[in-house]
Amino acid sequence: KTELSSFHTCILHQPRNQYAAKIKATPSHESDRIKSIIMIRFFLLQNRQGKTRLSKWYVPPPTNTSNNNPSSSSNGSQIPYQNASYTTTNQTEAEKVRIESEVHRLVTSRDKKYTNFIEYNNYKLIYRRYAGLFFTIAVDVADNELSYLESIHLFVELLDSYFANVCELDIVFNFNKVYSILDEYMLAGEIEETSKREILDRVKFLEKLE
Amino acid sequence: MSSQARGLNNFISDLRNSKSREEESNRVEVELAKIRKKFNPGDSKLAADGSNPSLSSYQRKKYVWKLVYIHVLGYEVDFGHAEVLALVRSAKYSEKVVGYAALSLLLRGSDPVMASVIGTLKADLTAGPGDAARGKKAKGAVKNDAVQCLALCSLANIAGLELIQAMHVEVQRVLVAPSSTEQVRKKAALCLLRLTRTSPNLLSGREFAPRVANLLQDQHLGVLTSVMSLLSCLASQQTPEYEGLIPHVVHILSKLVMKKNCARDYLYYRTPSPWLQIKLLKFLQLYPNAIENNTAEYTSQLINVVSKIMIETDVSESINKSNADHAILFEAVNLIVVWGPTCPVEMREGAMKILGKFISVREPNIRYLGLMTMAKLAQIEGSVEGAKKHQATVLVSLKDADISVRRRALDLLFVICDTDNAERIVDELVAHLVVADASIREEMVLKIAILAEKYATDLRWYVDTILKLISISGDYVSDPIWHRVVQIVTNHPQGDLQGYAAATLFVAVSPHRAHETTVRIAAYILGEFGFLIAERPGMSGEEQFRVLHQHWFTVDMQTRAILISTYAKLANLYEECRPLVAPVFARSKNSVNVEIQQRCAEYAAMREAFSPEAVEDLLREMPPFEDRRRSALELRLLETEGENSAAVAKASVPSAVEEQRALQMMQ
Repeated sequence: KTELSSFHTCILHQPRNQYAAKIKATPSHESDRIKSIIMIRFFLLQNRQGKTRLSKWYVPPPTNTSNNNPSSSSNGSQIPYQNASYTTTNQTEAEKVRIESEVHRLVTSRDKKYTNFIEYNNYKLIYRRYAGLFFTIAVDVADNELSYLESIHLFVELLDSYFANVCELDIVFNFNKVYSILDEYMLAGEIEETSKREILDRVKFLEKLE
Repeated sequence: MSSQARGLNNFISDLRNSKSREEESNRVEVELAKIRKKFNPGDSKLAADGSNPSLSSYQRKKYVWKLVYIHVLGYEVDFGHAEVLALVRSAKYSEKVVGYAALSLLLRGSDPVMASVIGTLKADLTAGPGDAARGKKAKGAVKNDAVQCLALCSLANIAGLELIQAMHVEVQRVLVAPSSTEQVRKKAALCLLRLTRTSPNLLSGREFAPRVANLLQDQHLGVLTSVMSLLSCLASQQTPEYEGLIPHVVHILSKLVMKKNCARDYLYYRTPSPWLQIKLLKFLQLYPNAIENNTAEYTSQLINVVSKIMIETDVSESINKSNADHAILFEAVNLIVVWGPTCPVEMREGAMKILGKFISVREPNIRYLGLMTMAKLAQIEGSVEGAKKHQATVLVSLKDADISVRRRALDLLFVICDTDNAERIVDELVAHLVVADASIREEMVLKIAILAEKYATDLRWYVDTILKLISISGDYVSDPIWHRVVQIVTNHPQGDLQGYAAATLFVAVSPHRAHETTVRIAAYILGEFGFLIAERPGMSGEEQFRVLHQHWFTVDMQTRAILISTYAKLANLYEECRPLVAPVFARSKNSVNVEIQQRCAEYAAMREAFSPEAVEDLLREMPPFEDRRRSALELRLLETEGENSAAVAKASVPSAVEEQRALQMMQ
């Protein structure tokens, strides 16, 4: 099979961002912030041209603009879509496509020297590029950005182990495998398991059952 | 890949070889039509559930996978539900896998089809490993664990309200059952989490907390990770009920941080499961009073843990390890922020020092997070002084190329702004406004206006600042901002503020080209306070009229309406203005705009209709505006940033200067 792009070199030779010099709210507001929903909204893999290779949504996208208003999403632990009026599946799908293309525009237009975090509507996009693919996780403002950056990395390591020098084509032809690996790693918008061995052993075990 | 159908592979290849989107779309249509026919050939009978019994297992799986792939590509798939359900109900694992995957991806929780799946879901879910299959007992037991996981996974992905009501009791049972495998437990925890999010307060905290305590005894770190996610959500819904779990959580955190006691598989670049540590810290952030109780054993444990994290986190060769370690560090600092004044002061100062180093590093992620976290830390009483020391560095970040960093710098500057540094900060912000990105301009203008008002010891500087804002970025100066200027000037008859404002605005509106907003404020202020400067050379009543009227033809209707009121006041005060004003009223009496028409007509007729004293009365100076608790600017900030923004918290607290002004007003 032809390789359009290779991740392997990317993982082994991470850019070394050394620091230049080596180093060492009122409280109730902060814990109030935590009380709002904190979870992964969606996980996206897109190539440079904008084609979506993997798209996992853990909450449906808000379909009316009032849902992008921060004050409406801070009522306790309600997921934003509770406030939206009932929308048809088609509207939701159309909205997903719209958001995905906007995300693509945002992540491809950022310089390498910038942070890996984009503040978007009332959540944050954490993204990183591996060869020709952009991995983007959308999380809440109160979420831990660096930890999700490393979650992306862990996922790439998972794919790399499973496919042995994974490339974009592997993901295209084995989309069902990729989704099943993802389902062992993340569920309901949370990280379920962080041991690569556990995840991969389980995936292989389930395969044998088929 | 055993279940990869060749047909599917060929289909994917075909689509990839399409030369245009249209070609791909056609190919997809052809395939959809083919599959539709296969599912419902028309001639043969369909089974009771709507599926086609003549399809082989291989075929059914292949076609459903194709439908899923088509859906993933972004095309609409609105048939095939019966086949999907047939797969889900099958006893064969390989068919269930495809069925459940398709169910999760193709259907919504609110879909009426879901109701028919509930029975199968329940059965699959509760078939524990205890249920021995006929024949090969061991294999059967293990297979059931996989089926349970499939069901849980799907439920977690879909979670419609009906499903929740039907299933949540089962999911709970599976979660706490001692016979459930770890795989099942993980998934059950997150599934329950999903159900609770859709249906808050589903579980009673008092009843469920002891069960969570049990779950936390598990040694498997994957299970702990999932359970902690569930716990954090439950605790955020019913915080007091889960307080008893703090010692358990601290114990686990302690093991990971102090003793680095962790299975090798869970080491991420030699750090014990950073994700689990972060979840533990996040749970603790729900309890700001946790360390107030000095006698509890966990208090000292917790303080030790946080200290250790702060002291030992360092940069490493591997960027991934660095990121993981610093992710933990930032979460620990967030915990310090939550503790606020209950946190020992050395710890807070230590945290501020670390953040101070972070905001000057080149690595952009760390700099960004440093700025963001410092803004939170600086809000704790007494900590803002520590943050102010870094003002120069933050000002540099204000000019960073990355907009994300600039936003954080702006936020932090807002938080550390105080009477002593307000002038410097506001001047820098105004200077920066000139080159600012459009997306951040409105925010900047709003914040500058709020800061200038809050910390101006001399209100004349405040007026100057707003005027500068208008001249630089007038389009982003919303009405509430200039209304506020008017309010403040009106409410401060002391000193020469009103005269100063009138004179400054006179000068501002003198050139031929002035921003619309400038004209509006000038019109109002000169109308009210122009008499204070009428004796000055070049600023007589007549001059005031001319300087305003030169803009008459370029301003919009709203501004003209204000001008008309001003002209009426001028005509009242200065005889020489009356012949100048009358023609304007006469011309505009027939204006298309109702407001202008009305004003012109009424003002023109006023002199005739009422006695001079009555006219005086009507056109008297406006009384002071009443002081509402939250100004319109604060409300606008609240609207854009939400309740939990550092800036909003800061804006709502009156500064020393503001309190002084309030006192003066009352006298």
